Formats: sequence, structure tokens, C-alpha cells
Amino acid sequence: MVHALRKLHRLLKPDGLLLDLRPAAKHRRIGLGESRRWKSVAWMREDLTDDRAANRALKRAASLGLFQPEAKAEFDLDRVMDTLDDFREWMSDFPSGKLAPEDDRLYRRVERALGTARPGTRIVARGPLSLSVLRKQVGEENEGGH
Amino acid sequence: MALVMDPAGDEIQALKKAASWRGRNVLEVGCGDGRLTLRLAGLGALSILAIDPDAALVREARKTLPERYRGRIRYQVGSVERLRRRRDQFDIAVLSWSL
Repeated sequence: MVHALRKLHRLLKPDGLLLDLRPAAKHRRIGLGESRRWKSVAWMREDLTDDRAANRALKRAASLGLFQPEAKAEFDLDRVMDTLDDFREWMSDFPSGKLAPEDDRLYRRVERALGTARPGTRIVARGPLSLSVLRKQVGEENEGGH
Repeated sequence: MALVMDPAGDEIQALKKAASWRGRNVLEVGCGDGRLTLRLAGLGALSILAIDPDAALVREARKTLPERYRGRIRYQVGSVERLRRRRDQFDIAVLSWSL
């Protein structure tokens, strides 16, 4: 990851901006209903190892003098699904082992909750996205080693 | 599959606030099927080179690229580590869910 950040440092113009957008290293929640009517049903228990490694890589790039952190924001992102099949398909997109062994239990909880909800109720996965803004730093110490 | 990502548009609003996009040369890393790429073009980026190692997703992105963006967006299969470009080329680099 640090190698990729070094390459981005090289490709950016002096004073260029690096924006790192990705899910925050926090568990997502699954709920029913949209926007303000959303009600939490269950937490997802993803393996957050990769997310934490990415955070460390970003800190490392800053400590190497490649980038200067300028701002950081966190906000919820919703994924709205019409049916249980959509939800199942979405879960299957996670890398193998990222959710197991929780995924079946999670699916059953959502299925039960949906069974008592009004027809047409949508399933919404809600989780924080993280946006880090970093400015390219130019100096003798980080111009070598590319 | 009926899945709608970010119906409220919070993601693109956060990106809009984070930088001045008009007239900028942008590199997007991890463009996938181009979902975010099109939104970045909508913010006024002059050019976007959007890359992803997944050839099938890049094919999909190319297929759904609107005519109005054809001169501004270029999709490419690959990773940033292997990208052959001259240095100091981009104003903004976006890591789209890819670090």
C-alpha cells in the first residue's frame, strides 16, 4: 500500500491533492426502511484487518513526508436493496471469509425482520465512509526512492 | 440486482467539498464500473484517467460511458503501481475504495 502511495506522490503535481475514499474501519449496520424511517436490525461483523492496514499505510506515507493530511470526514453511506435476494447477492460480493461465520445468522435476522415489516419495505445497509484529504509534500527527503 | 448506492448523494457531496474540480486533471484509482467516475466528471474535471485491475468492470465502464464524456474520461485496465505516466501529471488523485 505504501508503494502505491509513493507512486501517487510521483504522479501528482506539486501541491496536488490525494483523496482517499473508502469504508471506515467500522462495522456496518443492516436495517429496514429508508432515510429517517430506517431502523437497525443487525450489525455486520466484517473482518476489518485490511481497513486498518490501509489506515496505517496512510499514516506511514504522512510520516515519510510524502503527504500532509489536510482534512478528514466521515459520513454514512446507504446501500438500498429491494429484496432478500438482492441482500444475499450483495453479501456474496464480500471477499471469502470477510463475513463468515456471521453471514447466515445475519441473513436470517434480516429475513425475520422483513417478515413482520410492511410490504415493499427495503433493506438498507448503512455504514460510514471515510474521506481523507492529503496534500503532496515536496522536499529532498521524499524525492528519492521512487 | 436492484441495489441503489448512496441515494442521498452524500459521497459526491463530500468529494465536491474536498477539492476544486473544475479544469483539473484527475487520476481515479479503483474506478470499477465507473460509478464514481461519471460523478467526478459531473463536478467539472477537465480529464479523468480512471484505472482498475478488473478488466470486466472496465469493459462495463467503457460500455456505459455517455457520449458527452468521451473526450474527458479514459478508462484503463491496470494498477497504479504499474501505471506508466510521466511524473507531476495530475492535480488530484482519488483512491476510490481501493487503498
